[in-house]
Amino acid sequence: MWEVAIIYGFINSVILALTALGFSLTFGISGVPNFAYGAMYIFAGFVSWLLLNKLELPFFASALIAIAFTAILGAAMYRFVLLRVRGLVISEVIATFGVGLIILELFRYLGFSGFEYTLPVFSDGSLLIGHTYVDYQRLWIVGVGILLAIGLYFFTHHTKIGLAFRGIAQDEHTALSLGINSDRIAGLSVAFGSGLAAVAAILILPRGTISVNDGYDVLINAMAVCIIGGLGSSVGVVLASFIIGYAQIMTDILSGPQWKMIISLIAILVILVVKPSGLLGKQKELEERI
Amino acid sequence: MKKIFLTANLIIGLLVVLFMGLSYAEDPILIGVPTAETSLEGRESIKAVQMAVDEINAKGGVNVGKEKRLLKVLVSDLRDSSAGVPVSEALLGLEKIITEKKVNAILVGPFRSESLLAGMDIIAKYKVPLLETIAMSPKFEEKVKEDPVKYRHCFRVCLNAQSLVGYLAQSLGFLKEEFGFNKMYVMTQDVLWAKATGGGVSKVATTKMGYELVGSETYPTGASDFSAGLMKARIKNAQVILPVFDMPQSGILLKQWKSQKIPSLLCGFISPMAGPAAWKIFEGKLGGLLNSNFELGSAIPVRKYPPATKFYEDYQTKFRVPMEAGHGPAPSYDAVYILAEAIERAGSLDPDKIADEIKKTDRVGVIGKIKFNDGNQVIYGADPKETAAGCVYQWTEDGKRVIVFPKSIAEGKIVLPEWISPSKK
Repeated sequence: MWEVAIIYGFINSVILALTALGFSLTFGISGVPNFAYGAMYIFAGFVSWLLLNKLELPFFASALIAIAFTAILGAAMYRFVLLRVRGLVISEVIATFGVGLIILELFRYLGFSGFEYTLPVFSDGSLLIGHTYVDYQRLWIVGVGILLAIGLYFFTHHTKIGLAFRGIAQDEHTALSLGINSDRIAGLSVAFGSGLAAVAAILILPRGTISVNDGYDVLINAMAVCIIGGLGSSVGVVLASFIIGYAQIMTDILSGPQWKMIISLIAILVILVVKPSGLLGKQKELEERI
Repeated sequence: MKKIFLTANLIIGLLVVLFMGLSYAEDPILIGVPTAETSLEGRESIKAVQMAVDEINAKGGVNVGKEKRLLKVLVSDLRDSSAGVPVSEALLGLEKIITEKKVNAILVGPFRSESLLAGMDIIAKYKVPLLETIAMSPKFEEKVKEDPVKYRHCFRVCLNAQSLVGYLAQSLGFLKEEFGFNKMYVMTQDVLWAKATGGGVSKVATTKMGYELVGSETYPTGASDFSAGLMKARIKNAQVILPVFDMPQSGILLKQWKSQKIPSLLCGFISPMAGPAAWKIFEGKLGGLLNSNFELGSAIPVRKYPPATKFYEDYQTKFRVPMEAGHGPAPSYDAVYILAEAIERAGSLDPDKIADEIKKTDRVGVIGKIKFNDGNQVIYGADPKETAAGCVYQWTEDGKRVIVFPKSIAEGKIVLPEWISPSKK
């Protein structure tokens, strides 16, 4: 049983990290809330499904187009919705959450519900690790998830745009005075984040069906990981993913799957009470000390 | 003069025809179909109702006393199959279609038993005959039996969880007899009927058949990762896993079962696996699964019972797609005929008279011989010539569905997948 817990805990943690990367890039690192994140994830899934099944494009072409469409949708949301309320945090949250609700509920209204909405796996079969079978799709998730997490770290620490992402979150006015176009960077951040949500969807959704309700769960999980890890910290995101990932698997094994989702919410509550800046968060650390 | 006379006659004739048409259009019998429109079972049940209504209307409609009246279907979405939709919302929808649309009867009805049980009081309040065809909790009959006068308008045509327990328990008995299996693991969705079914089957199997329950799991609606549960079943050496799910995501359980090569036979109900499309959607990873179709005709042709096969084929001809829901469409189709015949026997649209006549139903339907018990539930059994019936079938490795239970309509025997070994040789 412990072998299962270790292997599946690791996989679950990488899935969580992968799910949260885009949200972390936009909200955690750039300070721009995108509470339509879960909707972007589902949007990518349905677009890919439509291209694959209605236009009969090859899966990888449909996946790439879906990722591009989702990034464009994110940029459009920034340009036409977020830009108008920029700087008003509560309004930003409400506006993006509203956009997310519209997207998700529109899919529901249009009848996108049923077992036929499923994406194919990248490769079929499974691998025996010790005494535990792991399907190849999970191995893909782990591989791409680790690569993306490392890539995101280097992107935000060693590239001009990545540094600009962090810059506008640290102090937008100073960033402006240094020649960073904060509106453009924030827009890019939302587009990148949405694109990452789409990548996560293309990798993770073949394990299940594309369901509107998953959009809400993805948002809760991504929020939990970012809040617990600490806003602005890529390493924190990974650390939090592993804490929640293993906690969820242990809960599943010891208590039953119906308690899994509660773990994320309890973790958010505990961290907000004990250390509001998160495990490795820097953005509010000073306020916390005062 | 002759021309004027002819023209006047023509105009009068046209007016008479128009008037007759209008009188038909103004007075159809309104059939309310409030259900979860986004669910597969709901969608296909609505289509089955429409199919029966079209057939009846094509023959001129229903005799109400001396009048012939057409049927008209009014659909409303209760959304109660979706996670997080409160029962109160479904009840509002149910009450709305009764009070605003003034329907004469309700068919199909709520998707969730939780909504049905609460909705029965609304039905009792407005006295509108209900023929439920999806929600399955046995508590429905308990409620009717507790107060048969109050709930005299509530009927259920689909299988109830109790009968499903019977089918599955007998299948488990057969597995024990044939292969020597005696350890079971239960995986159910966290909804009333599924938990009742899972609990009921394990109770019968452990107390009467010598099975050992080695574990059980309950999954929230919408869950799509079953790997930890499957691993637990493997570690505890379960030989049979009993899944009971009606959510679209549950199809993934099969993929995970097959890719992890879990050495336990799946025998239960996984709703997305009911219809023929499952084979393509789930990439052919279904071979070996024992699944139930709750009513004959619902997404499965039955070679030994022609009315079910005819319904299955007619549906495909009419809608140009095969039926996929293993629960709902067939009893929904039959429900229209039950209602139409009850109205004709009652000779009026008086709900009390209709309810009394529904209770007396004795007809050969798509689901088998239809009669109601004292809990206003259609009686299900093992032979469609005697009672209504469901069936258990097995997906073969080459994508066919072979009925294995009940014996009266069985088309083949259970075959174990190559990675599962029998306990007795």
